[in-house]
Amino acid sequence: MPGRRILITGIASYLGTELARRLEADPTVEYIAGLDTRPPRIQLQKTEFIEADIRSPTLIKLLPQTEVDTVVHNQIVRQPGPRTSARSMHDINVIGSLQLLAACEKTPTIRAIVIRGSAGIYGAEPAAPQFFTEEMSRLYPLRTRFQRDVGEIENYFETYSRRHPQVTCTMLRYQSTIGPSVDTQVTRYLSLPVVPTYLGFDPRLQFIHEKDAIDAFVAGVKRPVRGAVNVAAEGTMGLTRMIRMAGKLSLPLISPVFGPAVTAARRVGLFSFSPDFRRLLRYGRGIDVSRLIEEVGFRPAYTMEEAVLDYVATQQGRRVAPTVRQAVASR
Amino acid sequence: MTSGPDRPTRTRTRERGGTSGPGTVDPQSAPPRGDAPRRGKAAATAPLPLGPALAFLRDLRGGMDAGANPLAALAGATAGLPRDVRDGLDAAVRRLAGNYHEDEWGFDEEFTESVFPLLELMYDRWWRVEAQGVRNVPAHGRALLVANHAGILPWDATMMSVAMLREHPLPRYTRFLVLNWAFELPYVGSTIRKVGGVPASPYNAMRLLEQEQLVAVFPEGVKGTSKDFRDRYRLQRFGRGGFVELALRTRSPIIPVAVVGSEEIYPKIGELPWLAKLTGAPFVPVTPTFPLLGPLGAVPLPSKWRIEFCDPIDTSEYGPDAAEDRALVFELSERVRDTIQQTLYANLVKRGSAFV
Repeated sequence: MPGRRILITGIASYLGTELARRLEADPTVEYIAGLDTRPPRIQLQKTEFIEADIRSPTLIKLLPQTEVDTVVHNQIVRQPGPRTSARSMHDINVIGSLQLLAACEKTPTIRAIVIRGSAGIYGAEPAAPQFFTEEMSRLYPLRTRFQRDVGEIENYFETYSRRHPQVTCTMLRYQSTIGPSVDTQVTRYLSLPVVPTYLGFDPRLQFIHEKDAIDAFVAGVKRPVRGAVNVAAEGTMGLTRMIRMAGKLSLPLISPVFGPAVTAARRVGLFSFSPDFRRLLRYGRGIDVSRLIEEVGFRPAYTMEEAVLDYVATQQGRRVAPTVRQAVASR
Repeated sequence: MTSGPDRPTRTRTRERGGTSGPGTVDPQSAPPRGDAPRRGKAAATAPLPLGPALAFLRDLRGGMDAGANPLAALAGATAGLPRDVRDGLDAAVRRLAGNYHEDEWGFDEEFTESVFPLLELMYDRWWRVEAQGVRNVPAHGRALLVANHAGILPWDATMMSVAMLREHPLPRYTRFLVLNWAFELPYVGSTIRKVGGVPASPYNAMRLLEQEQLVAVFPEGVKGTSKDFRDRYRLQRFGRGGFVELALRTRSPIIPVAVVGSEEIYPKIGELPWLAKLTGAPFVPVTPTFPLLGPLGAVPLPSKWRIEFCDPIDTSEYGPDAAEDRALVFELSERVRDTIQQTLYANLVKRGSAFV
């Protein structure tokens, strides 16, 4: 039996590279191709790097040539950054996914598509179910641009999987990743010298540890199941407690001030809060992971508390209180 | 993840006669409804211990100079202080370091324990609550408390949980569903969550019951809280019977609860619809004290309370598919409503005058 042939989009990202590395070690995988506009940060052994933009129509010619049976879609941008504007983020997410699907239509060898989607589709609502299950994605209107992007991506893949019943489409709905080596909105937020919060709000937050994020991805690729699967650590944690554990000072702001304050912070280049992240800081979100555990057969090794503790343990050198103390002492 | 019944540790410490911190009342020294003066332990240690206080400041400064961060220095300096103060400071330091536990719903047992003396005071002195039939609530496993609803703030739910903690032979915490709007308000939502409230969604109730919790629901919802004073103790429509479906699906027993007294604490004589529209609140009541006295209007009137837990209704005989049976759902819903209404009338007669 020939091994699996896998194509990974967004190979240059931390998760894409790590996934490729893990799959390279798997003897049942015969061929891995990685697609991105920039090469991965570390040298991969077996992976063939294809330098192409996911938004360009050349993909339709490239993909059938690789004769892959599995496509892993890992190029969904979660927030605009220095390299990507809000506009190009939308383009990569929606147009990129469309191009990829068009290319999949032309590739008869495909049997599975695994997408690293986002739990952002559930939104952050004051009175939501405290643990969203997979069928609850349509409970609330999609309020932010990113949510609408994710909603569109999910619709495209749903339509595709209806029209191609021989292909298993897995939509992994990830909560944000936390850990010592990743650079996400959450870790950037927690490493601010003073952490702004909404006065009087203590949202329940839920992330996934970076190691579990990769392991869940590997599990999802090795055993694709049909439909959406939530991916997060078990349990939730209040933001107040998280900030205290990180040894940070919080700066509570009343909600009418929060918006202008974070806009000002972005102007001076301190930190950019996406609208989704702001809602999350106010209302929080929890998702139910029983489908991941029971059907994909993967249980995250870190609970939410352990994930935060592991992150905090590596950040001890950056505590703000002793720094203030040293500044006073040196005077 | 919670596993097994959620048993409060507080009652265990109380049996041993321990205290939870400075300024809290030792329940052993002040028996419920007794007339002994309630004095905190800290207040009893007059005159002020100057020596230990100075030593504390010296140690704190020493700790800071040695390069420890403020929290660690504070924790290291408390050794010489009186025990109650030391325990309180240690607890505060521990909490400030994030070293406490919340369950996946945001329920904070330690916080609940720390506000419990205040709730007990409301229970014993303010409302002089008499609770009957607490033994009808199972000591283990899932169960659904269904009660009449009144009052703008969830005092009825809070007093029901105090009754469960105080009067039940095997005390347990009650989780209660709270009107969604509360979770949009600063402090209100986060505090309610800490003491065991969750947003009123059937998904939440279902998950809690599957975790073998005791869950309190108020099917009258906002129709109950917004009813006029003259309609007090007249039960409103019980929604669409969602609570019955919930009980059938999870095979939980339903325990109807009649709360007499809660419907006089905020006598609603009018409404301010324009303010409701402005703030997004479901309604803004006018009571004799609100908005006349501003925030003081939130102080509930000291009515006399009776809480009766009725005989449980077993739903396990129907099977989970019975939740689809509309007729059965309505029949059970009506039965529960009728039980609560009759029990309310009976207890109103037993209580007599509302305030004295």
